[in-house]
Amino acid sequence: MSAALRRLGGFLGGVSTLSLWLAGIGLVAMTAMVAWQVFCRYVLNDSPSWTEPGAVMLMSWFIFLGAAVGVRENYHLGFDVLLYVLPKSGKKWLRMISDLVAFAFGNGMVWYGSQLVALTWGTTLPALGISGGWDYVPLVAGGALVCLFSLERIVLRLSGEPIDDILDDLPPAEVAAELDTANLKA
Amino acid sequence: MEILILFGVFTLLMLIGTPIAFCLGVSSFATVLYLGLPPLVVFQRLNSGMSVFSLLAIPFFIYAGDLMVRGGIAQKIVAFAASLVGHIRGGLGQVNIVTATLFGGISGSAVAEAAAVGGLMIPQMKARGYGADYAVNVTSMAALIALLLPPSHNMIIYSISAGGKISIADLFTAGIIPGLLYAAALMVTAYFVARSRGYPTEAFPGFQAVGRFFVISLPGLLLIAIIFGGVRSGVFTATESSCIAVLYALAVTMFVYRQMTWNDFKHATFGAVRTTAMVLLIIGMAGAFSWLMAFLRVPAALVAWMNTISENPIIILLLINVLMLVLGTFMDMGPTIIICTPIFLPVAIAYGIDPVHFGVIMILNFGIGLNTPPVGAVQFVACAVGKISVWESMRSIWPFYGAGLVVLGLVTYIPALSLWLPGAFK
Repeated sequence: MSAALRRLGGFLGGVSTLSLWLAGIGLVAMTAMVAWQVFCRYVLNDSPSWTEPGAVMLMSWFIFLGAAVGVRENYHLGFDVLLYVLPKSGKKWLRMISDLVAFAFGNGMVWYGSQLVALTWGTTLPALGISGGWDYVPLVAGGALVCLFSLERIVLRLSGEPIDDILDDLPPAEVAAELDTANLKA
Repeated sequence: MEILILFGVFTLLMLIGTPIAFCLGVSSFATVLYLGLPPLVVFQRLNSGMSVFSLLAIPFFIYAGDLMVRGGIAQKIVAFAASLVGHIRGGLGQVNIVTATLFGGISGSAVAEAAAVGGLMIPQMKARGYGADYAVNVTSMAALIALLLPPSHNMIIYSISAGGKISIADLFTAGIIPGLLYAAALMVTAYFVARSRGYPTEAFPGFQAVGRFFVISLPGLLLIAIIFGGVRSGVFTATESSCIAVLYALAVTMFVYRQMTWNDFKHATFGAVRTTAMVLLIIGMAGAFSWLMAFLRVPAALVAWMNTISENPIIILLLINVLMLVLGTFMDMGPTIIICTPIFLPVAIAYGIDPVHFGVIMILNFGIGLNTPPVGAVQFVACAVGKISVWESMRSIWPFYGAGLVVLGLVTYIPALSLWLPGAFK
């Protein structure tokens, strides 16, 4: 692997870890917001109006950040039966197409998401007191990260890195995370 | 032609292994381009599909489940179940099923349950001379109980896919009797298989021990009452009760059991982020996809087509069941519910089937699909924990499939099993 590629990989790894941490903090903050809402409603008898839209907006951030990390760590759910039966060279091409699809869609998220931000920037979200355009900012940010991470996979594959061979030796993505749990307790 | 593009692009991308979320998004985008609609609408639907307050219940319930697995609540429940049913023939199999039932009422996720209960039970069962295939099959089939008992987040996905008009409290209540019936059917099957294989029995530890283990596991079990009681009585919404479940799980694992370390907490949080981001992205993308299906009148076309086959609801239900079982073997549960609900629910309603009843049928169908190759997350996890191949598990899973299908038949054709309990609460 060339030094430039390694530096890039290190940088993107940092971006990915940061996104995961932000998403995790978002999840904790969401919990705190809804808990505050419950507390206010039952104890203070006065529901704050900002907790629901606030928690929903945090959820968008958390979904798009987590989903972008999913592209890099390859844990998105897919139908991988064909990938199991095909020879290695064929698999490589199918995975290449999938990464290109993700890259293209990520571009769409940035392009059309920005248009949606522009269209709604003049409006105001009453409960939060900020511009309505913020509703679509997570879409743009998530799209940019999806582009970045899928492009990284495409570049690595083109430069001959064995990223697909590594995947072949792993259990299916959605299973791997749970196995971690099972091994912990066994 | 538009319908062909929508489903054709989706199927093609899915077959080459593209993540389901992108299959849904790209096929919707292609269809919108073909129709000459502004492409903005796809991304707007994607965003609005996931910006729903009741969706917050999904990350919260998954998070609460992860915290409970990491924090030791599952072990306490296994100990309680072992004291309760360990003395029955093939005792550890029974323990496994009872644990799944109790834990399912807390975590609501079948894959998490297969990992948590399987990780604890399968090594023990193998050490006591049970066949690995038996241990794996009992674990994987029992994990499906979590889908039927509250708080099943799949029922929340169903309610949202149906446009949010179906009461989550009713769905939660409707799953209870089918869930317990399914658990009972598995226990009977596990008993007979264990007897024919001559598996051992454990000594009954006495009622005092049962009582002691019950008290130890009580803080975890209380959560069932909090979630179900809160949602059912209408004191809390499903979202609020899911948030309380997270706080409660944290409190119990940190202050009562004192097993939650910072590292466990971090793992549980990141685990929940990964799982829910994936599920919720699919839900958002499916928002665009199902909007297009409605725009293209796909459900109406399906009702018309089914009318040409039969007007008898019994046959239509059979047909839908077979279709859903087949789809369920190929796809994972969340996306299948989101895609199939807008298609099949109008058909079911047209034939006079109650939406709550239909939800239970759908969840049980897709649940069995989680346990079948080629795509069966629960089976993969259980096999991986038991260190056997899917084919080894398939050789002896048939009696358990049989039990599942019998319960599916009963639930499908006896609406009262699902609808009596919600009615009784009104």
